[in-house]
Amino acid sequence: MKYSHVCAIIGVILCAALIAGCITPTQPQGTPTPTVSPSGGDVIVTYTKGTGPMPTLLGTDQIDGYIAWQPFVEVPPMAGIGKILLYSGDLPPQGKWKDHPCCVFTANQKVIAQNPDLTNALTASMILATQYLEEHPEESAEIVADWLAGKGNFTYGEISVSSVDVLKRAFPTVKFVNDPTDKWMDSNIEFVHALRELEVLTGSLKASSDADSKTILFDTAPYNAAQSMIGAGKITTPTPVKGSVGIGYLMSDHHAALFVAIKKWEYFNDTYGIAIKPRDTAASRPDIADFIVNGEKVAEIKLISGDAGPQLMQLMATDNIQYALVGNPPAISAADKGTPVKIIMSINSEGSGVVVTEDSPANDWNSFVAWAKERSAAGKPLRIAAPGKGSIQDVMIRYSLETSGLSIKEG
Amino acid sequence: MRYLRFLLPILLVIGWEVASWVVNNPFIVPSLETVIPILLHPFSPEYTLGTGSMVENALISIQRVGLGFLVAAVVAIPIGILMGRSAFLNDFFDSTIELLRPIPPLAWVPLALAWFKIGLTSIVFIIFIGAFFPILLNTVDGVKSVKKTWLEVATTLGAKEQQIMTKVVLPGAAPTIWTGLRVGFGIAWMCVVAAEWLPGISQGLGYLILYAYNFGQTNLIIAGMVVIGVIGLLIDFVFKHVEKRWFSWRGLER
Repeated sequence: MKYSHVCAIIGVILCAALIAGCITPTQPQGTPTPTVSPSGGDVIVTYTKGTGPMPTLLGTDQIDGYIAWQPFVEVPPMAGIGKILLYSGDLPPQGKWKDHPCCVFTANQKVIAQNPDLTNALTASMILATQYLEEHPEESAEIVADWLAGKGNFTYGEISVSSVDVLKRAFPTVKFVNDPTDKWMDSNIEFVHALRELEVLTGSLKASSDADSKTILFDTAPYNAAQSMIGAGKITTPTPVKGSVGIGYLMSDHHAALFVAIKKWEYFNDTYGIAIKPRDTAASRPDIADFIVNGEKVAEIKLISGDAGPQLMQLMATDNIQYALVGNPPAISAADKGTPVKIIMSINSEGSGVVVTEDSPANDWNSFVAWAKERSAAGKPLRIAAPGKGSIQDVMIRYSLETSGLSIKEG
Repeated sequence: MRYLRFLLPILLVIGWEVASWVVNNPFIVPSLETVIPILLHPFSPEYTLGTGSMVENALISIQRVGLGFLVAAVVAIPIGILMGRSAFLNDFFDSTIELLRPIPPLAWVPLALAWFKIGLTSIVFIIFIGAFFPILLNTVDGVKSVKKTWLEVATTLGAKEQQIMTKVVLPGAAPTIWTGLRVGFGIAWMCVVAAEWLPGISQGLGYLILYAYNFGQTNLIIAGMVVIGVIGLLIDFVFKHVEKRWFSWRGLER
């Protein structure tokens, strides 16, 4: 009996060692074209499926830093557990990530085809809200603070910070732009290349030419229609929809346009005759609204928040939602796998950032790289969290680390 | 001795506060001063990151769990009785049930969303999965453990199947079924966090905990956990009370 137990335990340990050895991530061949040969050391990238666990992991010293979307970049400094290294537009190589694309407005191809006026009107709603929040950043930051945290306080030990202050700090680091310019499309296509190198793409975008990728990904007709309706000062009333229409979004100030469109519905109704009116006007975070165009209710809208983009794309694939505000990589991956999703326009650019622990010696990118090399040489490589494999944040941090002579390990 | 049961909770609270001084990291052990104000203002929406007051969140969770639990009871008890009475049905269902039983409710989330879409049905389904098996297994067990002699006496005295069912089997199995309901509700209540992890939800105790996680609000997470614990305790107290009052005969018979 004793012998068999010992043998069993040894067997299990051997198996575990074998499996661990087998799944130790190896670099996929041809990972993002680094301009410097990666020999300066390793950095471990940990995926946390969204931003949820990041502050806790940083606060308990399980990671040395993270890259996330706003407002979660602002959390560590106010909690006294970390400092902001840099915002995503400033990631190296210099100028590479300036105005990098981020979130996009997407729609199910079927709904674009079946009810073009509805899609055009919703697109117009988002464009008008984006204009509003560019013109009224302070008020918009308050609206977002109400949506995300009921304008309440965040408490970290003895420190208590107003969510309004946090959002006012985060707001200037996000650029709210809609125009689907050629330059913007090209930089989206760069993400297609990056996702290919990460071996995330396996379907229609795996080997497509850039021109084909654009055809697969984009449908800017609703944007153009919306702009001309806004220009003409008259929104076409869509045919009323039976049942409801779902719009997915993330709990981030990147999606401020949606929150502003809903919270300022009276203004948009009076000024443009187009409004997403919440059923419960007192709720911080309404989940059901009526879409009203020229005084006529044309659709019931369900507002669905997700943890991260891939989940929202899954919901679109199962027809739970018809529209979504998501980062471009989830939309690209979903289109690649055959989800009938089309990118209509940009929602924002930039708006992410890198934070490191409070006691980190790094104060800028160069000292961060030096720290990473030192730790790697000491056999304790830095561990940086990113929201998910192939997310915007993941693609950017990988590229920046690799061009700085560091190689990536997942774990 | 009567008050002994309160000793450990009090010691735990004191230990907690001491630990929060020693550790001095609100992410690991937030101090009681940051948790208690939340619990002292159950009707104020100010403490819950825009999800409405703690009471609103609790009520909505109780509704969801109650509904899932009721559906589970309505489905599980009749199937359980049939399985307990018929060896054929027992053999027919048994392997499938044993196969499905170990699958945690959380694993059903992707399918729940695809099948029932966003909304109450998906939530109720997740809770149903949690509550169904304990109720079913206890019902089967209760029906099977009804004394042979009672059944034989009833048959000898000329009772019909329907009479045996209502006069002998159901009353005889009731205490065990009740235990199944009690365990089932406990598990259903535990599923509240898994169920409220579904997208398209903006309120509920489970949602509140997961949402607070995003902002590293450990104090709010703990307050939510305390409320879940207290409500679970109160409901279990009701179940136990009924058990004592109606089913205490079980301890007496031999």
